[in-house]
Order: sequence, then structure tokens, then C-alpha cells
Amino acid sequence: MGNKVVTFTEQQLEDYQDCTFFTRKEILRVFKRFREVNPELVPKRMTENQAHTIAVPVEEIEKLPELKENPFKRRICQVFSHDGSGNLTFEDFLDMMSVFSEAAPRDIKAWYAFRIYDLDDDMYIGREDLLEATRLLTKGELHQQERDDIVTSVLDEADVDGDGRLSFMDFEHVVVRAPDFLSTFHIRV
Amino acid sequence: MEEEVESIEMNTSSARRAYTLRNNVARQVAVNFMPSRQIAHNTLRLRRVNSEHNALLDALVDAPDAADAQADIIVREMEQHQSLMEDNPVSEELRREALRDLPQCLTMKRNVRAKLSASVSLRSKRRPISFLKRLKYRISFAWKRTRDKFRDFIFSIELWYEAIRNIEGHLGSAVGSYFHLLRWLFGLNLLLTTFLLCFVVVPQALHDQAGNGTTELGALDFISGRGGLEHTLLFYGHYHDAEIASPGPLRYYMPFAYFYTMFCLYLMFFAVLCYRTAYSYRRNFIEPSGGTGALSQLLAAKLFCGWDFGIASPAGAALAAHALYLEFKELLNEQNRKKMITSAWVRVWQRLANVLVTVLALAIIAGILYGLWLLLAVEELTENREIYISLAITAVVSLCPVLLHFIVKLEYYEARTAFYVTLARTWLLDIGILVILLIYWSRSDDECWETRVGQEGYRLVILDVLVSLLLIPTVELVRGMLFKWKVLEAAPEFDITYNSLTLIYNQSVLWLGMLFSPLLVVAVTAKFLLLFYVKRESALRMCHTGKKVWRAAQTQTVLYMLVTLSLFTMLFAIGSVFLRSSSVSCGPFRQYEHVFAIVSEGLLQLSRHHTLRAVLHFIVRPGPIAFVLLGLCVCVYIMRARAAAQRSMAAILRQMLRLQAKDKDFLLNAIEKVSNGEWLYSPKAEEYGEDSHTWKYLNEVRKPSNAGFHFDGSRLSHSFLERPKSYVKENRPTSYHTERPKSLEDGDTDSSFSWQGSSSYLNQKGEAEEKR
Repeated sequence: MGNKVVTFTEQQLEDYQDCTFFTRKEILRVFKRFREVNPELVPKRMTENQAHTIAVPVEEIEKLPELKENPFKRRICQVFSHDGSGNLTFEDFLDMMSVFSEAAPRDIKAWYAFRIYDLDDDMYIGREDLLEATRLLTKGELHQQERDDIVTSVLDEADVDGDGRLSFMDFEHVVVRAPDFLSTFHIRV
Repeated sequence: MEEEVESIEMNTSSARRAYTLRNNVARQVAVNFMPSRQIAHNTLRLRRVNSEHNALLDALVDAPDAADAQADIIVREMEQHQSLMEDNPVSEELRREALRDLPQCLTMKRNVRAKLSASVSLRSKRRPISFLKRLKYRISFAWKRTRDKFRDFIFSIELWYEAIRNIEGHLGSAVGSYFHLLRWLFGLNLLLTTFLLCFVVVPQALHDQAGNGTTELGALDFISGRGGLEHTLLFYGHYHDAEIASPGPLRYYMPFAYFYTMFCLYLMFFAVLCYRTAYSYRRNFIEPSGGTGALSQLLAAKLFCGWDFGIASPAGAALAAHALYLEFKELLNEQNRKKMITSAWVRVWQRLANVLVTVLALAIIAGILYGLWLLLAVEELTENREIYISLAITAVVSLCPVLLHFIVKLEYYEARTAFYVTLARTWLLDIGILVILLIYWSRSDDECWETRVGQEGYRLVILDVLVSLLLIPTVELVRGMLFKWKVLEAAPEFDITYNSLTLIYNQSVLWLGMLFSPLLVVAVTAKFLLLFYVKRESALRMCHTGKKVWRAAQTQTVLYMLVTLSLFTMLFAIGSVFLRSSSVSCGPFRQYEHVFAIVSEGLLQLSRHHTLRAVLHFIVRPGPIAFVLLGLCVCVYIMRARAAAQRSMAAILRQMLRLQAKDKDFLLNAIEKVSNGEWLYSPKAEEYGEDSHTWKYLNEVRKPSNAGFHFDGSRLSHSFLERPKSYVKENRPTSYHTERPKSLEDGDTDSSFSWQGSSSYLNQKGEAEEKR
């Protein structure tokens, strides 16, 4: 590697490689992106402790170009943060990028997609969640009536056990059958 | 009791969440003892910890040592699977997969990993493993390591990575997939170039240096490939047919080199393409099987998978939002519109129209091919007739997709089917043209027909450069500017299909021409390189995303399939035409009477081994070949039948799963209620409808005569949380059974239950029955 500054210890890199879907090079690239968010806060070399204690505030994470235009950016940050507030440590960020990477399997993505769409965090995608999701997706262009229609249809289609909201199994059932899920739920670092 | 229940329901969502969680915890405990959770899984993909387990973990969120306790729970769950806990590389791999599949945050995963390794090393029994096993482990380990290194290497090349990411951010992943195809083909061609240059061109060049040659190049020779260029490295005819003088002791025999390099390259890339197509097909067609056509699930799929997370520019995001809005409206309209009842006559008419138009399209294609044949056969045109013919071909290839696009509008297909049909027809036309060229030249009386074919390929590539690198970008530029000056209404879109067809056409020309003109690879590689930059500029500056994004993933698979089919057809055509003949006066195979003799004489030396020759002769006769073909057909039929059976089986199983989910839900709800002490037996019959599950259950299964129910508070499931022991076999459900005297009136269900509800119901029920 020459005289590059070593960002992580060998143990850390191996750990990360084992626990995520990334190769070494990708992990270093993710770190570079993370550092670009706030170079003062994030040091050039990360010890083990710093990797899961130094948290970048959520407003700055949302300014990343990959997330800036995403309607669910706030919720994504909340899902992947360790305390639910949206402030991401490096390990949270790495985890997020790993789930969104190409190598992550369908069921992992489905699980996190479920948590992202579950806006009120009650382990079910209810009516309000769906209404809010339609509003965010079309940037408020649909009328209230149309949104209601859509949500009713979606619940009709997908709700298997008939309790008026989607559990994880219902959601997974829908999403796993969509051929585009893998390619849309994908952020390239 | 009732007040408690009511007060819980009126609380805010946080309390509702707590309630849900509490129920989930009780539910989770019950679920953990189901037999399906006790089996150790041998598959490499460990069953994921699902949402109910996470409920158990979430319940610990407020505890002081939360992270550690949660990690402990996870480790304990994983310890139950024996295959994970062994101390060999296979288990290590399984552990790694299990870790990656855990839907937990990274810090937790590292924690779990540390604990797991500690646990494994504690448990490992050092047993000497046999030599074979050790060898197997070492091989699989080494293989895994090389694969990782290869992945790292491929990734570190990352050609154009940033550029493609930028494009995806602006225009979406469908357009990005076109650029991925371009990049992949470019990589393929680069590899081809390297091999060909090393093994075929450079030795020939070295040989040429020894001799002396004068070449005079005319003006038009660059385009036509004739004249001065004819006897250069560019074409087949020039290649030496014997040994090349080499400085060292090794001998380099040109015919062998030429033949085997080409052979190996063709086969290798065929294998790679087949693999890639099959992988893509499996990922995009088979795995998400089921609702492709039905409108149901479309709306939900659109809602959940509609937003492309890769979009990174404000303009792109606005466009995507608008596109989604339009698609939602369209789907809503389709739902609201009454289904048009098409009578039988209308359908017959539609089918008839489809057949007629298909015949028309095929006739057009056949007409073009025949016209080409006649054109080639006309002898007395000007000297540059080859250039004119190639120009005509290029024009036809560029314009025909548009024509076919209009033709397909006359037919009654759905949008996707129409798209595939156009694609297939255009591809057919392209391949037909190339095959006609090959056949014509091989049957002509020309001295060196192979060079002619090579020249055709060369001309086609050069002229296509004019079209795709100059003409089309200019047209798009003009359209973009007209749009900007508000002359045109519609924004120019990046036409993925047209551009992909161009790529496939170029690649097919390459497959045809590579054998006859080794340097063509260099030309095509350079062309793809330029094409990337030109298309990138054009895409970024002029184009907007297409309004309709059609299932980009499935289109990708179809494109890969077309590339593979092109290669296959070319291989077939070349094999049947080329191998049996050989030009006497040119090319590296001059000495052999037919090209295949290189294998039969040069390698196998059949003239000396008579038995081998007899065997091979026998195998090649029509009889055995027909037999083999028949066997293959039978295999294909069997596999198709099996696939159809499995598909219907999968549908049945899916339906069963859904029903089982409902069953499980019902039962778990019942268990929760009972274990939380909320099972209230209301004596009023009208609270339950006649067909409610609860009513049926109460009346038919739990016969009112079951006596002896007492509510035992200490058995509440919350107490399970305080137990730190792992849920292994000692803690089976049997452990918290109490001895209960069986009374005569017990129903069938009491044998293994110890659920004890309140006794008040039964007394009331008994009274109600007496009153009746």
C-alpha cells in the first residue's frame, strides 16, 4: 500500500468485511464519503471506539448528494442510526451503505425497506404510513381523494391477514415479487 | 380486567406500541418453541431473525445494559444451530453469512461476532480431521480467497465508475443499465483485443518485418478496405501459413495459433455470455415469479419500489416524482375503468390482425434480405460498389427499427409485448443481413472470400461510426436545441432500446468479422470507447428521462439474451460455412484442404490413428447425431414439464403459506390473550357472530364443560424476560406444566395445555345455559 495513511486497523477492516457486503476498497471509499460530510468532526484515522461514538448530526448527513433528493431521507437516517435520532456514526453509515449496495440480498433489503416505510415505527405499515408515503413520493401532487384511493387499493392488494395494516410478511410478499426492487433500492457509493 | 383492557386501547401510540411490544414478546416466546425454530439449518443461508425476534430485542431497549443483553440474546439464538458452532472453515463461512444477514446495526454485529468467536473457541473439540477433509477445506478456502481477491481487483479497475454514477443520478437506473451494458461489452472487447494482439497479430507483424512489402493507399481505401489495405495485417488473407521464424528455440506455428486462439476466444466468450444471461434471467424473471401480468400487486409494487434511490440531482428527482404521479394516475384510472368486455369476434379479429402484421413484417425483412442478395449479385456497377452496398446496409439497419416501431402499432399487443416483438424483429433483420453477407461471399468465386468478408465487416463498422458517432448525436443536439428554443414540444428522450440495438449490432458485426479480420476488434473497442463519451455528453445535456420506465431489469436480461443469441448464430454460420472449405491462395490455412483438417490432421493426426478416425467418423454420421438431438429434445421437454409442475406447486404452496399465516396469527393471538390473562369469556352470545372464529372455538373445541380453570398470575409471560438462561431443550414447554387433576368433563384439548383462564366465565356460561 505504500505510504498511505492507514485509516483502520487490520482487525477493524476484517471485522467490517465480515459483517458487511463490502470489500476493503469499498469500505475505504465509504469512509471517504463519510468524512466529506464533516471533515472537522470526523478524524482521519478512526479507532475502534471512535467508529461507533462519533456521530454526525442528521442535518449534515441529509446533505449528501445520494440522500439529498430522497423523499425518505429523514426516515432512512433514523432507521440506521443507533439511537433512532438520525445522527449516524461511521458504523451506522457503513451499515446503511452495505444494505443499499448491490451485493445485499433481497431479504435484507426488504427488511430495511419495511422499516423505512414504517414511518411511525410501530412495526406495521398502517394507513397513515401509506398516505404519508404517497405524499412524499409524488411531492404532494396527488389530491387527497386520489391518495385515499391508492392507499385503499394497496391495502386491498397486499394485506393478507386482513387487519388493515401491512405486517412485515405482507410487505415482503409484495416486494420480493417485484423485479425492480433490487435495482431501485440501491445506492451506489 | 375489562377496565384495564379498555384503558390500554385508549392510550397514545407510544403506549400502543408498548402494548404491541408486550404482546409481541409473549408471542415471540411462544414462537420460539415452535418446531420450525428448533431445526438446525444446513443451508448456507441461515434463516434470518425476523421481526418478531426483534420485538424481543426492542423490549430490552430501556434496560441499562441494553446492547450487551441484546447481543447475548442473538448469540444464544445462534448457538442453537449446531452447524454454526463448529470450528472448521465451513462453519466459519456459515457464521459469516449469518452475521451479514442479521438485520442489526454494525456495532451490534461486531459485538455478536466477538461473542460468537469466544463461544466457538470454548466449545471446540480438537479432533484430528482426516487428510481428505483437510485438503477439501484448504481448497475451498483458497478458492474463496482467490475469488475475493478477484472481486477486489475488478473493483479497483472501476472504469468510468463516477461517470456512470453521475448519469444514474440524473436519468435513473434504466439509462444507467445501458451504460453498464456498454461498459461490459467494452471490457469484453478489450480482453479479446489483448489476446488477439498477443497471439496472432504481433507474431505476424514480426514476420512481416523480415520480409518487405510496399503498400500504396488510395483515398477511398480506408473506407472500402480494398486496394492497399487488402494485404495488410488487417485481413485474413495476409496471414502466414507456416512457421514464423523466431529467435528462440520454440517454434511458433501460425495456422495453429490462429485457429486455436480464435476457437478458444469464441468458446470462452460464449460460456461467459451464457452464464451472464442465465444469472440475469434467474434474478429478474424467476425469483420474482408470479404477478407479472396481474394488475393486482402493481399498485403496491409501484408504491414500494417506484422510487429509484439512486437519483441524486434535483432535476432528476422532480422528473421522477412527476413520472410517479402520472403512473399512479394511470393505474388508478385503469382500476376505475370498467373492464371492456371483448366479444369473441373482436378477439378473433385482433389475433388475425396480429398474424397478418407479423407476416407483413417478416415479408419486409425477407424482402430486404433478398434485395440485398440481388444487389450483391449485380456485377456491373461502378468500382466502389462495395461502399455503396455497405452504405445501403447501414442505412437500412439504422432506419428499420423506426419502421418496425410504426408497424407494431398496427397490432393489438400490450405495451411490453409490442416492445419485445419490435426488438426481436430488428434483431432478426440485423442477423439476417450479416448471414446473407457471409453466405454470398463464401459462394462467390472470389479468390480469397474470407478477406472479402473481413472487408465487409470493416466497412460496416466504419460506416456505422459515421451514423452513431456523428449523425445521431447531431440529430439529438439539434432536437435539444429546438426544445430549448421552445420550437418543439416534446423533450428528446434517451432511447434505450435504439441505442442498445446499436450496441448489439456492432457486437454481432464483431463476432462475424473477428475471424476474418483480427484487427477489427481494435476498431470496435476504440469505437465503444468513443461511443461512451459521446453518449454520455448527449445524455447529460440533451435528454430527459423517459416518461415510462419499463421494468428495466427485465429489459436487461432480454438484451443479454440477444447478445448471446447473436454469438450463437454467428458461431453456427461460421462453423457451417468456414470450416469445410479453405481458400487455396490465401490465409493461414492454405496447406490444408479444409480448415477443419487443422484439428483432424494437426492435432489428432487422424491419418495415423485409424481406430480413432473410424470412431469419429461414426459419431459424425447422421444417425448418432439425430439420436443425440432426440435425446436433448426429450430432456428439454422433461425439464419444461418439471418446471411447469414446480410453478404450480409454488403457487399452491404460496396459497398454503398465506393460510398458515392466518392460522398462526389467530393462534398466537389466542395464546397472547390467555397468557396475559385477558381471555375474557363473555357470556353474551350476541357479542360473537354466528360465524366468528372465537364463537366456533368456544363452542366446539373448548366445550363449556371444561372445568377447573384457575388464573395463575405467576405464569405471566413477562417473567420470561428475567430468566437469563438460553432456551435450550431443558426449558421445554413441559417444564411449566402443573399437575392438575383431570376431571371427567374435560374436553379433548386439555391434555397438554396448562392454560388457565378465569373461572368466572364458565360459571356464567353454565348459568346462561341453564337459563335457556
